[in-house]
Amino acid sequence: MNRREFLKQFTLYSTGSIMMAPVFNIIPPVLAKIDQPKLIVSHDTNYVGLVKKTLKPLGGISAFVKKGDRVVVKPNIGWDRKPEQAADTHPLIVKTIVELALDAGASKVQVFDRTCNSSRMCYTNSGIKQAVDSINDRRAVCEFIDDRKFIPVKIQKGKALKEWSFYKDALAADCYINVPIAKHHRLAGLTLGLKNVMGVIGGERGRIHTNMGQYLADLCTVLKPDLTIIDATRILLQNGPQGGKLSDVKVLNTLIATTDPVAADAFAATLFGKKPEKIESTIAAYKMGLGEMDLNKMNILKV
Amino acid sequence: MKKKGVLQKIIFRRINQLFFLLLFLFLFRKTDYPGQEIIPYAVNLFFCWNPLIALSVMFIAKTLMLIFLPAVIIVVLTIIFGRVFCGWICPLGTLLDIWQKLLPAKKSQKKISFPEIRFSLLILTIINALFGLQLVGFVDPFSILFRGLTFVIDPMLNISIVGFFNYLYSNAPEWVSLISEPVYQSLKNSILPYQQVFFISAFLSFCILFTIFALEIIDRRFWCKKICPLGALLSLISKISFLKRLPKRVCAKCNKCQENCRMSSFVNEDIHSQNNCIRCLECLQTCPDDRITFKLKLFQKSNNHTSISRRTFVSCTLMGFLLPSINKIDAQHKQSYSYLLRPPGAKEEKIFQDLCVRCGECMKVCITNALQPTFLESGWTGIFVPRLIPRLGYCEFNCNLCGQVCPSGAIQFIDLKQKHQTVIGKAFIDKNRCLPYAKQIPCIVCEEHCPVYNKAIQYTNVNVKNNDGKLIEIKQPYVIEDRCIGCGICENKCPLAGDAAIRVMVNNK
Repeated sequence: MNRREFLKQFTLYSTGSIMMAPVFNIIPPVLAKIDQPKLIVSHDTNYVGLVKKTLKPLGGISAFVKKGDRVVVKPNIGWDRKPEQAADTHPLIVKTIVELALDAGASKVQVFDRTCNSSRMCYTNSGIKQAVDSINDRRAVCEFIDDRKFIPVKIQKGKALKEWSFYKDALAADCYINVPIAKHHRLAGLTLGLKNVMGVIGGERGRIHTNMGQYLADLCTVLKPDLTIIDATRILLQNGPQGGKLSDVKVLNTLIATTDPVAADAFAATLFGKKPEKIESTIAAYKMGLGEMDLNKMNILKV
Repeated sequence: MKKKGVLQKIIFRRINQLFFLLLFLFLFRKTDYPGQEIIPYAVNLFFCWNPLIALSVMFIAKTLMLIFLPAVIIVVLTIIFGRVFCGWICPLGTLLDIWQKLLPAKKSQKKISFPEIRFSLLILTIINALFGLQLVGFVDPFSILFRGLTFVIDPMLNISIVGFFNYLYSNAPEWVSLISEPVYQSLKNSILPYQQVFFISAFLSFCILFTIFALEIIDRRFWCKKICPLGALLSLISKISFLKRLPKRVCAKCNKCQENCRMSSFVNEDIHSQNNCIRCLECLQTCPDDRITFKLKLFQKSNNHTSISRRTFVSCTLMGFLLPSINKIDAQHKQSYSYLLRPPGAKEEKIFQDLCVRCGECMKVCITNALQPTFLESGWTGIFVPRLIPRLGYCEFNCNLCGQVCPSGAIQFIDLKQKHQTVIGKAFIDKNRCLPYAKQIPCIVCEEHCPVYNKAIQYTNVNVKNNDGKLIEIKQPYVIEDRCIGCGICENKCPLAGDAAIRVMVNNK
């Protein structure tokens, strides 16, 4: 939420509040909620409509993408799995976000991920490459990772991790939209928004696993997404992060969108029936002041 | 005054040569993941129509294989026109012709005393195949060329070109990148391979290929004249070929055609020999009197000269009996190397080694660069047979490309559903090095990557004291052997330096 919108909403709420009687005892809780960025949760089986519906209360994509911006849409394309196996972000969700960003006047929209399986197979079998290519706009590209673009970054606020290499294009983007899929992960508990940063970092990623919660929070201090859209259209309940069996997949047709990466993860955990405190990275990031994890303090809007 | 059409014929031949060379290179480049499940091109065409490979594989398998049907075309072509395959089609021959043009011209046509070993090699290969030893991969020109391209030339060109552009990208001023990067991207999208690959014993393959080209310095088409067993086979067939060169003899006053013949196809000083002639038609041009013609003539006795003496034949046949036995007593066949993993769909070890023609197709196509040439791990006869080395690359779960390109059926084509259950080895954990066991550090990267739907790697939650003396709960992985298919992604992704703490071994069952 930017300043202008805050003022606008504050004025509206205040005006509304003042009109009501008794006036003054309503304001404090309203103010407290206003401080929190909105977290939108929505359901729909039409995924194109779902994306639009979810972004609307946040001011639409144009609240984030300005004319001429270079936008990065970072889905999870980590595994060589089909969309219905729920290991990668749904291609239609990615496509719709890219289209919206283009409509908002983005000068370039890049879609990429550093995959775990062979990159070409992941890009193809996840359906994401075809989906982005089918937009047929030169500004929208689904491109493979270029190893030369990993640049070492000092993590000044990092508690456990002092330096790691990041993908240049992700850091340089005017607007970085994180579009992870919510799924099960044995070591991390769940893999959600914060863990999706694994796809834009270089180096031996296996090392991250030795202290995953704190390391992910540290990485988030360098690359904090402007917008997190968690794809929970299908979620993977077990045998993650790759899955494979369709019986491990639950179709929820849900999307979560917010500017607070920690809140997004915390709320997504509830979809699995888990408490946010069960996810180490959420706790670590909350402790570092990167966002809210208390569900009661969030400004949740269900549409 | 030259007859019209002579030059056209020669140009036509060169265009033909160029076409097949480009086709070979095109298919080489297309021997790769095509962005869909099945490769839409017959990328192994040059091996399927190779009569030498067809013969030796069918002899060793003792069955008729339909995949080698295209070889019939080459045989028929040879029966009609003679060795046009060598002069008009063979990409190695074309490369040697081009290479020859780059070398300084030879001053005098000296007689080379190197023995013609091609027939010996041919007999050796065929007889050995009959008695259960496959040698064709070491002598077949396409295998040598394709391996050389796959293991050395292509990766080497790629690393130098990419290295050059990377240097500009990171060191040159920014305006240079503005020019070089688009060029680099367009190269990447057109002729450069998708990824940099690395191969074991690449240098050995290079030496073999290099030798063939180096021999060209001694004499033109040295390999084709003296060594190539495929050429020898076609020579034998061309005995009955219908296309004849007239006159048979060199004219008394002039022997220009003999002097200029790249194949030295004149025996006893002056008689033109059918089985050496590759129909390059250059003598049409060199003849000052336009006396030479090539005519189709059925059932005319040809002047033939085959340099197989009875002695060579007998000794080669004897070696054909002996070598398989010598191979058999190699201890590697009794106690095989524990980490010798074969590609998914590979036949049982002995049959696999028999059928494999060492063409390198599977190693070229392998999407993770996991398939590598064996060196001496399975005995001297197993050199260049593919093996999977997980630390270099793992077997991709949804990939069956190697089975798609194998020309000889050594690696069977299996569909993805079968592939998911095909066991190529079994993983085991080295608890002395594995982080959660040895150092009480969380990890289970192997478990995360295990592609089996219900995970062949599981873990137990154990409460341990870590190095700081804190009591922590840690996940210690273990392998469920019945589920493990040995793809090796666990070994590949294990974050330890050097050898992995989880390794895949041959499945001894």
